[in-house]
Amino acid sequence: MSKVLLELKDLTIKFGGVTALNGVNLKIHEGEILALIGPNGAGKTTVFNVVTGVYQPTSGEVLLHGKSLKGVKRFNITKMGIARTFQNIRLFGDMTALENVITGTDVHKKSGLLGGLFGLPRARREEQAGRDKAHQILEFIGIDEYSDRLARNLPYGVQRRLEIARALGTEPKLIMLDEPAAGFNPAEKVELAKTIKKIRDAGYTVLLIEHDMSLIMGISDRVAVLDFGQKIADDLPTVVQNDQRVIEAYLGVPSDAS
Amino acid sequence: MKFLSVFKDLNLRDKGAEFWENSSPTKRKVIATSLVGLAALLPFMGVGILDTPVSDYGAVLVYPVGMFILMALGLNIVVGKSGLLDLGYVAFFAIGAYTMAILGTHTSLNTWEIMPIGIALAMLAGFILGLPALRLRGDYLAIVTLGFGEIVRISALNTKAIGGPNGIANIPVPPSIGPIKFNLNDQKAYFWVVLIMILLTIWMIRRLSVRRAGRAWEAIRQDEDVAELMGVNTLRYKLWSFSLGAAIGGAAGVLYGSKTLFIAPEMFTLNVSILILACVVFGGMGNIWGVMVGAAILAYLPERIRFISDARLFVFGLALVITMNFRPDGILPRKKREKVIVKKVSN
Repeated sequence: MSKVLLELKDLTIKFGGVTALNGVNLKIHEGEILALIGPNGAGKTTVFNVVTGVYQPTSGEVLLHGKSLKGVKRFNITKMGIARTFQNIRLFGDMTALENVITGTDVHKKSGLLGGLFGLPRARREEQAGRDKAHQILEFIGIDEYSDRLARNLPYGVQRRLEIARALGTEPKLIMLDEPAAGFNPAEKVELAKTIKKIRDAGYTVLLIEHDMSLIMGISDRVAVLDFGQKIADDLPTVVQNDQRVIEAYLGVPSDAS
Repeated sequence: MKFLSVFKDLNLRDKGAEFWENSSPTKRKVIATSLVGLAALLPFMGVGILDTPVSDYGAVLVYPVGMFILMALGLNIVVGKSGLLDLGYVAFFAIGAYTMAILGTHTSLNTWEIMPIGIALAMLAGFILGLPALRLRGDYLAIVTLGFGEIVRISALNTKAIGGPNGIANIPVPPSIGPIKFNLNDQKAYFWVVLIMILLTIWMIRRLSVRRAGRAWEAIRQDEDVAELMGVNTLRYKLWSFSLGAAIGGAAGVLYGSKTLFIAPEMFTLNVSILILACVVFGGMGNIWGVMVGAAILAYLPERIRFISDARLFVFGLALVITMNFRPDGILPRKKREKVIVKKVSN
């Protein structure tokens, strides 16, 4: 097995009386596509929110390269190499597609406001590099032709892809996609699957939340299943598919079974 | 109503931007130079239609027109660019003016030497206020800043050492720059200083808008949570935005103190903050041209038309209500247009 990139250790998070995650252990290895599935309300998006620092865990911890992310500021988590997309698209609508991605690339820039104001050499260089990088990423995702369009005026599918591009702009080690195929037709899903594989092949690690089983079975290297905040399975796609507990979680237990 | 719908759809901002983009660099230079030149000649145009019956035309150009434009541009960084509602902007103006008044009457420093001190103190005030307040959002931030504006005014009112309610008198005028002399009967020199400050501010905003800071502000304004998750150090950039806005308010204050020669706490009421905010909203939040046009109109009209100066606040309120109904984004709204897509030709 290759190196562990991200590890969730006994992760528990409670909101008042509700336990959203209950002692979840999960390892994500470098260079794999790990799909996180589970019925609605199982705690998938909560995992994303804990990893990106939106929520602090009640107990347990998140380790990136073996280092705890406890108390690390959200923007620093991004800087350390974790980027995400959102289930409901949350682009910067009044910016162009290109500006959206450049905003992502800004995270690693060293020059700040004053450098930009006075046009210092490093600021100029970084600005140009960010712009070139953003174009490359848009090209890579296949939406460079939209680079000068305002994000909010883009077609739905392009917006979803732009979210991925923006996340890639931050040069993450781990990219977390929250239902990237939501609302896609079958043809678009096939395209998306190709893109995700391409992202993995380019050296990124992918954590994917998705409901579309054919998509997941087609591209993921491993599948972890959450149900009521607990991990009930974590194995190869084909194994998980036939796991009795997973089937029960999705379809329920027959009333005459005992 | 036909006329009103035309008014609603008119997008001068985009037409202007398109024209600008299609112009050659030489043409741009000519346009920019002639605009600045035209503005610099404004003090000589005080005859006929432009003249103000209520007050001295030359003085009106400096305050309120020039200063309102300057302060509206400063507040626009905070409200328009970064989306932080600041209702206490007058505090920074007051800090600048009081710095000028205190240092001008107690030390031998002149206006130009006090200017950087006033700017620095206003920035510092912005920073100190921002550090706790900018952790709040939306309405809560508005209330805290509103309180801050009042605290500054009331502190000045109750501090005997700086004149209390009597304020400070005999503030010196700026020393002359070469042949250009500053005197109150002929305020051309003041106007040119304000003009230079406005130009510097425009330069700063235009520059920052297309750089990391501008993107960070834009991201914060549109979705602060996502901005942070995309790696924007939101508190840092909000503090910058606040401090830069404060710096411009402070600069305006220093010059104002050196122009009115007498300041008192009653000049720095909440009304001023609201008026400047009205300029920003009326003109078009986030767009420097809109903000300038808005501030110029709202500052100039009451001096031009006697009826309006008698019922200033009423007319402002009315103007805002009408604008919000027919042009909710202001007279010249922020960027809406997109560049024409040029598809890459593969070879």
